[in-house]
Amino acid sequence: MSAFIDARAIPSGTILQPDVAIIGGGPAGITLALALAQTRLKVMLFESGGMDFDAKTQALYGGKVAGVSYLPLDASRMRYLGGGSNHWGGWCRPLDPIDFEQRPWVRHSGWPFGIKELQPYFKRAQTLVEAGPWSYDRSTKPMAEVAEPLELGSGGVYTSWFQFSRQRDSVLPTHFGERYAADLKRVANLKLFLHGNATHLSIAANAANLDHFEISTFNGRKFSVKAKTTVLALGAVENARLMLASRDVASAGVGNGNDLVGRFFADHPIPRDTATLVSFAGDIPGYYFNAYDLNGALVRPAFAPRDDFKRNSKVLGSLTTVENAVELDDLGKAAVVTTALALGVDASNAKAYSVGCGLELEPDPERRLTLTDERDSLGLPRLKLSNRVSDSDFARYRLTMRELGRQLLAARSGMMRLNLKSRESWLAALDWGDHHLGTTRMHVDPKQGVVDANLKVHGLSNLYVAGSGVFPTYSASNPTMNLVALTLRLADHLKGIMR
Amino acid sequence: MKQPRLSRRTMVAGGGVAAALGATALGLTLPRWLGRRHAPTPYDDLLATLVDREQAARLGEVARSALPTFSARAAARELRQRFERRNLAEVLDADIREGRIAEVGGWLLPDSLAQLCTLATY
Repeated sequence: MSAFIDARAIPSGTILQPDVAIIGGGPAGITLALALAQTRLKVMLFESGGMDFDAKTQALYGGKVAGVSYLPLDASRMRYLGGGSNHWGGWCRPLDPIDFEQRPWVRHSGWPFGIKELQPYFKRAQTLVEAGPWSYDRSTKPMAEVAEPLELGSGGVYTSWFQFSRQRDSVLPTHFGERYAADLKRVANLKLFLHGNATHLSIAANAANLDHFEISTFNGRKFSVKAKTTVLALGAVENARLMLASRDVASAGVGNGNDLVGRFFADHPIPRDTATLVSFAGDIPGYYFNAYDLNGALVRPAFAPRDDFKRNSKVLGSLTTVENAVELDDLGKAAVVTTALALGVDASNAKAYSVGCGLELEPDPERRLTLTDERDSLGLPRLKLSNRVSDSDFARYRLTMRELGRQLLAARSGMMRLNLKSRESWLAALDWGDHHLGTTRMHVDPKQGVVDANLKVHGLSNLYVAGSGVFPTYSASNPTMNLVALTLRLADHLKGIMR
Repeated sequence: MKQPRLSRRTMVAGGGVAAALGATALGLTLPRWLGRRHAPTPYDDLLATLVDREQAARLGEVARSALPTFSARAAARELRQRFERRNLAEVLDADIREGRIAEVGGWLLPDSLAQLCTLATY
């Protein structure tokens, strides 16, 4: 077992020459490093932070936000080993088959491959995120034996299931840095550097490959890494920043010949209290609020639109969860009494609940990251996020909620109130998942994507991008388990071409 | 020993109290037997399907305020067609099945029920 290396101790001017360099020690970087273990490849991983939060390092993330309200850029990420997993909620759910399709009603949609490409990697990803046995939508039957779920009439919305990552002793969720530190130290062909910040990507003069990249430290050291292959795994925001800021050979930045780097930024809006759900029969099972341990899989239900409903109603993905009990006002009581009596249902014990959701946004090239004139303490330009959400994104979710309300009525199990109507009300209720997506999107056509189907940057022979920044569309599923699966696929690709 | 006799005054007063109590009791229970009285409307044939017309009217007020051009006559005509040879449950089932869902103050209701609620405000 070898200790991690402190990059601050590397003499300036040093040139390191691994086979594979991974920049970034979040879930993608750690997954890739572990997946390349026991190969003949010399692998180096460079993490900006250390093993714990450090305010000075975290401040490198600072930037501006314009447009629709969003968390400050230095508050929506974590810059130390483990990256985003250091503050994730552990929510896991695989992408749906339709997420990969070119959907005529979703501009810029379509992955270069279908779900079959990722399926071989899901179970290994599930193991890495420690979400227990693969259960997800197979949970429906066994959970009905635990307690009958809220009945839905037939229609476009169904009860889907999340799973949750957990560490030993049931501490949620898996923090990759802490969890895999010992495993990483055991990898004989890996050297992991802490406190080393990638500050520049140097493209070769022929502009066909990455020549080297530079690492800077807070104690003033600077050294170079000249790898056969380099993988950016800094997260969707920093990947774009480093590529845009490296402008010495290509004035638009690395991989940005078609002005796509930083565009199509996305996250999952999480509007709160979007609707009120009434159960005519009274209390709904506790597993709607708190994950239930189903033979080692922590599961919790969500209402999701079926793929055929998405197609027919032209809606996007959404996952709606029941959050907490609420009291009805007089109008609500009148609605419940009147509707239940008309349907011939006893609603004398009816209970009302607030629901929230995670939404898929339509890809938008103008929701983007750009460089500003301001620089961080290592000299890198800071970013500005121009954030936008279209009214149609909200309107489409409303269609799904209307369908859910219809299905509750059809089953005579309950009813719904839609709480948000105006754009102002949506924006006031808006929270975000801190799921950074899309800024180095994948597409076979260099004019429509930054990386190709193998996650290689178009036009550069040896530069790859890992993480959810390559997702061309975003699903409503939480990205971590999916980006881990995609990274495992990248590892297989690299092993194949670098034998 | 002479039995005490009730005076005429006591008997009249007692009878009055009894009559008042009886009338009060009748007043409290009659509406339950006969249904709450409402001023007649041209839509009573439809409104008779509502079990609790007051609660329905509460919803109807909200629906009506959001529909300034609502035509009660047109709505009643439409509802009567829907009710032809069908009861309320069947009409609402058809609404739900065919996706005729109205939004009243955010609440999602079968369209016919929302229209009945609105008519209940007339």
